[in-house]
Amino acid sequence: MKPDSTWRAIITPFVLLTGPGTIFISITLLVPLLTVVMFSFWRTESYELYADWNLDNYRVLFGEAAYRTFLIRSAVSAAVTSLICLILAWPVAYYIARHGGRYRLLLVLLLAAPFFTGVILRIAALQGILGPGGLINMTLGLAGFAPIKLLMYTQFAATIGHIYLYIPFMVTAIYLSLVNFDFALLDTAKINGAGPFRAFAEVTWPLNWIGTSIGTVLVFIPCLASTITPRFLGGPNATSFGMSLSQQFGETGTWALGSAMSVVMFIFSFLVIAIMQLTIDLRRSGFTGVGK
Amino acid sequence: MSMHDDTVSLSLQDICKQFGPVKAVDGVNLDIRQDEFFALLGPSGSGKTTLLRIIAGLEHPTSGRVMVGGQDVTYMPPYHRRIGMVFQNFLLFPHKTVAENIVFPLRMQNIAKSQRDERLSWAIHLLRLEGLEARYPHELSGGQQQRVSLARGLISRPALLLLDEPLANLDRELRAEMEIEIRRYQKELKIPFIYVTHNQEEALTMSDRIAVMRNGVFEQVGHRTEVYQKPATAFVAGFVGQSNQMEGKVGKVNGGLLSFTWKGTKLVAPHTGDMKAGDPVRFMIKHEDVQVEIASKKSAVPANHNHIPGKLRDIIFKGQTVNYLIDLEGGMEIVASGSPRDMKLSAGDLVFALWPQGTGASFKL
Repeated sequence: MKPDSTWRAIITPFVLLTGPGTIFISITLLVPLLTVVMFSFWRTESYELYADWNLDNYRVLFGEAAYRTFLIRSAVSAAVTSLICLILAWPVAYYIARHGGRYRLLLVLLLAAPFFTGVILRIAALQGILGPGGLINMTLGLAGFAPIKLLMYTQFAATIGHIYLYIPFMVTAIYLSLVNFDFALLDTAKINGAGPFRAFAEVTWPLNWIGTSIGTVLVFIPCLASTITPRFLGGPNATSFGMSLSQQFGETGTWALGSAMSVVMFIFSFLVIAIMQLTIDLRRSGFTGVGK
Repeated sequence: MSMHDDTVSLSLQDICKQFGPVKAVDGVNLDIRQDEFFALLGPSGSGKTTLLRIIAGLEHPTSGRVMVGGQDVTYMPPYHRRIGMVFQNFLLFPHKTVAENIVFPLRMQNIAKSQRDERLSWAIHLLRLEGLEARYPHELSGGQQQRVSLARGLISRPALLLLDEPLANLDRELRAEMEIEIRRYQKELKIPFIYVTHNQEEALTMSDRIAVMRNGVFEQVGHRTEVYQKPATAFVAGFVGQSNQMEGKVGKVNGGLLSFTWKGTKLVAPHTGDMKAGDPVRFMIKHEDVQVEIASKKSAVPANHNHIPGKLRDIIFKGQTVNYLIDLEGGMEIVASGSPRDMKLSAGDLVFALWPQGTGASFKL
């Protein structure tokens, strides 16, 4: 075979297989992203974008305390949500993987059940439970008790909404990791003197950390950008970075500032992923054939 | 009772284990001495792995007691038992290095670092793993992985080491080498080893005593030569070693011998049971107990020998031994095996298969 035809034998399937996807991703992800980066250095006036390059948007973002508060609030909220999802999801995923038996697949498919309807509908339904005229507080009122204020338009209510929305991702990620985990290793740990807790800490947790960290990222990132949930459940004191961002593109019409906010959020998300990446040592993940 | 005998390391008393309607282990009694290499031999599904898991504490028996060193451990969790275990698929921790895998049991016992290091270098040396300490399991060959697994099982000097088909995943040559090695460790360390296998050669090569297990019960427990030469049941005779099988009806019983007719030939076999004339009998004789002689030398058949005429169909050369396949009238076959040195026969020869009366074993059907 001539070198020329070898080259062709490699390049043809590469182009055919990856070409359509690459073009699609370029158009739908990269182009808008670059546009947003570009807009972030422009200026908006009366709903119009002007291409005079400047850093004013970033000055506003880092200068005004409100935006910092929104970002920190969103980040803390996303971190708390991720942590609670993690704690709630692990036992569920573990149970399905270890004891699900022939119902395993069915149980995992049930995790997708909430996606049969839209996010807005689900959050509105949650409002119908948590809100002032909602199921819980109305029942309390009828029984002569004071309503639980914590549930009505607070950060707490928004966090309940976030956990509800994103926990399926966490359970699925951990479950997919656990189904590939050899539970016989736990027997080995026990015979070699490890009690249940140490066996978990020494074997189960480190060998499923990649799946767990993927689940954490899958919860953290959308939670950071969350708009609808805090708007429906959070009330005035739970204004999130995402809410403020969507306002820039909507009511206030300040696209340039909104673009700068998007860039900040993008960098922040990227940093979170990078930090999670640092916690993964492929050689210590149980993956074989990589990380030599 | 055995529990007061301090040379007894493990004692199983009336162990039963039921999974739903299935009795995986059905009334097993066993005492294992401190210095013993003990093999649990049986086909798959015989309950040997279940029994091993009961000893390890990974399963609880439905009834019966497990005693280790005189202490009742029947319901003690595995992590308090001080038992080592080596598995067929190695089960090394993939995210830990060789050294970390080996010291794992010591870390779990909260033993000081200095002592851990000392024990580690002892184990590394014993199992010839020098230079591999920092490697990860997937960077090792199968044989190396199994040695790491053995090192991990032995480092804490357990009261007992359980081995569940540890060589089944290794290639033949390595297996033969490891058989000798593992027996050496046992003799050096004087820790009782319980070795589960379905491979009778492995059991015979390595162990002092063998229990042959079938359907959850012990068919025979005895010294390896005893199990081989004096099988207690037809199953043991068929499972350990390679035997020819002949069935017939008992003709005459005469003290230690009985006679029966098989395919028109009268044969004399040892009488071990309580058979009487007319009982159906199964006679089994090991391949190597059968000799082959050219038919023309019939006068060479010594007295007190059984002999059956046939035609030598093929000679299977196996290196150390040779198998003679002898076709008998009526489509039956007898296999005789011998040393290749005195191979003077060739396929197609008319021959006699012969053996002394009183060799082999007969069982009541």
